[in-house]
Amino acid sequence: MASIVLNSVDKIYAGGVKAVNGLNLEIRDGEFMVLVGPSGCGKSTALRMIAGLEDISGGEILIGEKVVNHLPPKDRDIAMVFQNYALYPHMTVEENLAFGLKLRKMPKAEISKRVGEAARMLGLEQYLKRKPAALSGGQRQRVAMGRAIVREPQAFLMDEPLSNLDAKLRVSMRASLNTMHERLGVTTVYVTHDQVEAMTLGDRVCVLRDGLLQQVDTPQNLFDNPVNLFVAGFMGSPSMNFVNAELVRGDGGAAVAFAGYKLPVPDATFAEKPGLDQFIGRQVILGIRPSDFEDSVAANGHAGGWVRLPVRAEVTEELGSEINVLFLIDAPPVQHQDTVAAADTGDDEDATLPLVGDKSLWTARVNSRSHVRPGQNIELVVDTHNLHFFDPTSGLSIGHAGARV
Amino acid sequence: MRHDKYPLKAGAPSGGRPLLARVRNSKYPFIVGFLIAPVVLYVVFVISPYIQAFQIALTNWKGISATPQFIGLENFTRLFEDEVFWAAVRHHGVLLLVVPLATIAIALFFSFLLNLSGGQKGAGMTGIWGSKFYRVVFFLPQVLAVAIVGVLFQAIYRPDETGVINSMLAKVGVEPIGWLIDPDLALWSIMGVMIWQAVGFYVVLFSAGMSSIPKDVFEAAALDGAGRFTLFFRITLPLLWDTMQVAWVYLGIAAFDAFALVQVLSVDRGGPDNATTVLPLEIWRTAFNFSKFGYASAMGVALFFMTITFAALTLRVTRRERIEF
Repeated sequence: MASIVLNSVDKIYAGGVKAVNGLNLEIRDGEFMVLVGPSGCGKSTALRMIAGLEDISGGEILIGEKVVNHLPPKDRDIAMVFQNYALYPHMTVEENLAFGLKLRKMPKAEISKRVGEAARMLGLEQYLKRKPAALSGGQRQRVAMGRAIVREPQAFLMDEPLSNLDAKLRVSMRASLNTMHERLGVTTVYVTHDQVEAMTLGDRVCVLRDGLLQQVDTPQNLFDNPVNLFVAGFMGSPSMNFVNAELVRGDGGAAVAFAGYKLPVPDATFAEKPGLDQFIGRQVILGIRPSDFEDSVAANGHAGGWVRLPVRAEVTEELGSEINVLFLIDAPPVQHQDTVAAADTGDDEDATLPLVGDKSLWTARVNSRSHVRPGQNIELVVDTHNLHFFDPTSGLSIGHAGARV
Repeated sequence: MRHDKYPLKAGAPSGGRPLLARVRNSKYPFIVGFLIAPVVLYVVFVISPYIQAFQIALTNWKGISATPQFIGLENFTRLFEDEVFWAAVRHHGVLLLVVPLATIAIALFFSFLLNLSGGQKGAGMTGIWGSKFYRVVFFLPQVLAVAIVGVLFQAIYRPDETGVINSMLAKVGVEPIGWLIDPDLALWSIMGVMIWQAVGFYVVLFSAGMSSIPKDVFEAAALDGAGRFTLFFRITLPLLWDTMQVAWVYLGIAAFDAFALVQVLSVDRGGPDNATTVLPLEIWRTAFNFSKFGYASAMGVALFFMTITFAALTLRVTRRERIEF
């Protein structure tokens, strides 16, 4: 086991495309680090550079305190799980698992011991004599995982290993990945474009965009304190609602005004976000998580002090335990480059209404007891303690300790 | 009476049998429509000549008389005592062993160099430097007509010191070698040309096979610790098995032919002293030079059975579980 350190690593493809741009990242020994970002953000390239499958254009990569820039993949002592599994189609499961060990001239007894252990751990014992073609997707995935495990490498590299599985299997594989990591404690770098996977799997998550590091933090911190509009919009599903708003100070204290609504900003927020008071009287971009809304009827009694927001539900998505209420607010959609990029992930599950002129579509996640129907007028309450404020020019979160670039 | 009982059901679109029958009725004319032309062509131009050849093989027809005389198996008994026939069969045996083996080995080596061997430190899946140029060079012999190849190699193999090879050998003090006039060497010289000409096509065929192997399988192997040697023998070769099977069949068939090259290149058409003769050449000579159509047909029948045996053997031996990616 080892730590992996990337020191201002660049990847420049022929033609000058910069896939990875000055990436600095320290992955601690035994840590589960997830690289996440929309397609084309350079996360896979970064992983392949760690693996040695891509040349490094600039900077340094260290595995276990050893510079590996010019080591071929086989000498880096890492194992990789590929998106399409990359099993050897002409070998049985057993041979697939043993191949890497055989090439390393390991004694036969040790090979069969390790293969047996991995097969037991992954529930592959009855499939050892089968070829990959005779396995289901989930089983192939487990073989690919087993091939990495038997090697007992310094680090696992996983390139979207769950993206070819169906939704249900993905959830259960996610859980077994978690247990596996807990059990083996091997440093793992995991690439995904799925922010749910990133949130659930990572000890820490690294958000990349256009080859640039946006933020590295624990999943909860990324969710609660995104460093900029991009991270705020990318993490969390449904994604954060944005609006151009004005911060004002009136008789009853500070408030944020948009689209005919006025939400009071608690004093605690100003204390948490140093520098926010300088924005009073100026434009900000306001962000509200869908989960910070609640139906005033369903939240009866719990929403003391929350602000009420009368809206008309355009679309409702019933998820069983919750309902996503999509409603229009009378303000133009925020056209900041960061929010556009974050929404552009392709697997946004929100329904996109053909927007009516200059209105923006917001989502509120309310309790299923609300029973709201499309076309109904409902009153939502907002938890004003969790409002997010962004600088409209830079897109950075106001008052965030790590806000830079 | 049973039909009257369910008068509606028989005609109803949801009825089981009638609907099925309708689908069948509409399916067969469609299939037959597509099959009829190729089947007719095949019967007229392949099956019927074969049948005629079998008939003629049992006669002493000389190509002139309208009523050839039936002589039973006499042609065949003569054939089995014919030295030239056995020489030709022996040559086919050598061709069948050497040409496919050498061609496949060389073509595999070249296509591996062209496609997979370069840049091991990177993704590892590029060819050596200049591979696009070599691809064209390797394929070039394939587009040359056999007649041109014949003229070309007559110049190369000329037995005196003006030959391309011999003039070079003379420079290092080697006596001129009779490439095509030495009976021990002539067949090997011709096989060299056959291999030279065939390699290009199989390089392209194997290149296509190699590019259909997913890139990440090679990457996984590289991470597992495979060097070029292992990559070739443990990964590439087994995954190319299907393509190699195809190559083996094509080359085997080519080894049963070899008519054109022997005809244009060898001394005395199959010489010297029948050292390079092959069955198609003997058939052609017996039929059209000696006008012994019956005897030539008997040779043709023998060749037919040899080809069939080869095809059956190949299909039997190489049958293997298909590899799916």
